[in-house]
Amino acid sequence: MSPSAKKVLILGDGAAGTMMGNKLRFHSDPSDIQITVLGNSEKHYFKPDGVSIPFGFKDYRNSVKPTRSLFNFGVNYVRETVASIDVKNSTVIASSGKSYFYDYLIIATGDRFAYEDLPGYEKAASHFYSLEASLALREKLNHFNGGKIVIGQASIPIQCPPAPYEFTFQLEQYLNLRGIRKQTELHYIYPLNRVFTIPNVAPFVEKLMDDKGIIIHKMFNVDSVEPEIRRLNSIEGETLDYDLLVLVPPHRGQKVITESGLADESGYIDVDRNRLNYADYDNVFVIGDATNLPISKAGATAHFETEYLANRLANEVNGNAFFESYGGEVACTTITSGSRAITLFFSYNKPPRVNYESKSDYFLKWTSSDTYFTGMIRGIM
Amino acid sequence: MEDVKPTKVIDARGSYCPGPLMELIKAYKQGKVGDVISVYSSDEGTRKDAPAWIQKSGNELVGVYTRDGYYEIVMKKVK
Repeated sequence: MSPSAKKVLILGDGAAGTMMGNKLRFHSDPSDIQITVLGNSEKHYFKPDGVSIPFGFKDYRNSVKPTRSLFNFGVNYVRETVASIDVKNSTVIASSGKSYFYDYLIIATGDRFAYEDLPGYEKAASHFYSLEASLALREKLNHFNGGKIVIGQASIPIQCPPAPYEFTFQLEQYLNLRGIRKQTELHYIYPLNRVFTIPNVAPFVEKLMDDKGIIIHKMFNVDSVEPEIRRLNSIEGETLDYDLLVLVPPHRGQKVITESGLADESGYIDVDRNRLNYADYDNVFVIGDATNLPISKAGATAHFETEYLANRLANEVNGNAFFESYGGEVACTTITSGSRAITLFFSYNKPPRVNYESKSDYFLKWTSSDTYFTGMIRGIM
Repeated sequence: MEDVKPTKVIDARGSYCPGPLMELIKAYKQGKVGDVISVYSSDEGTRKDAPAWIQKSGNELVGVYTRDGYYEIVMKKVK
């Protein structure tokens, strides 16, 4: 390792952090850039499969890989939990007590489920945003024989905004396959005045829900849940009783971010939307779910962010000019039925065009974990 | 409007919905009764969505104003 190599420290071993390390390695020479990734995950879970695992449509074992195995040669992965971040002194302190100094810091610490934001949540609700939760929900569904299911999200923002409707469409298919659809009411709640964040896509999704007999409750922002009587209350004053509640939990950024003074209580970091820098620090960047950028919190977002940032850092370190800016690009493919999916491309300044459901998009989605583990996460696409 | 001074101003110009409305709901949840929250948005959808949400949530829509290249939506938290 060259002593003059710049030290790039990446915090987080999720999609954004892993892609970042691997991509930067491809774009740079070890004699110019030394890459260290700090993370504490033994396993790396491909979260998009969470909308299929509760129904047994996908074998969860194909959705998980050992985290350490995903880093390319030349990326130094260290199992550490970050205890504090001191950007003024370019230092990160780990729980082990070890200090890490850097020339460039990339914060990719993601976000967390803030169960404490909705008292009673853990007793009342199921979800599909982690492997453990998806498997627990699968068990519940195995014993479900009809009744009223309420599906939705506890707050905004959440990871992968289309996931709730994607889950709902697959749930509908599952109930049909089990022959209990007629005995089951499906209620879909959404915080906005439509069924999806993006206005020109929402009518398309709403029609699909109408066609499948899914009952929609718009502008239902969850205020409280009463597990004892199985009731959900909204800020807007509505109530919904349920037999099974599938609710995406409240999200916040990581505690260490707030405790290090990098963000308010929400835990999401203000970042330059076109350069991904934190505040006035030219050597500190934030990517992935840790930002408060007004775009989807998704692996596809991290994919475009890391592409920009890896290119930029590699050029800057070598003294090359780099004039590109990050444009907020996102691409996502979501399942809409047992054989169809839609793909949306959008950015800060370009809303998505409404696509039609297609079998090819379904195939794209169905094979996405393979694409992810063999290509995307490795930084080769 | 000139008589009502916002407790919090959210500048969400340049971001598409749900960004501005997300910010408004977040400020609402973090705020206290009596707070006046103003959101700036250049997004046409927010001009309709934010007032609809304010009214459905039982809060007071102080006004929707057309500014120079953006909208200002003002609400008062009453519950």
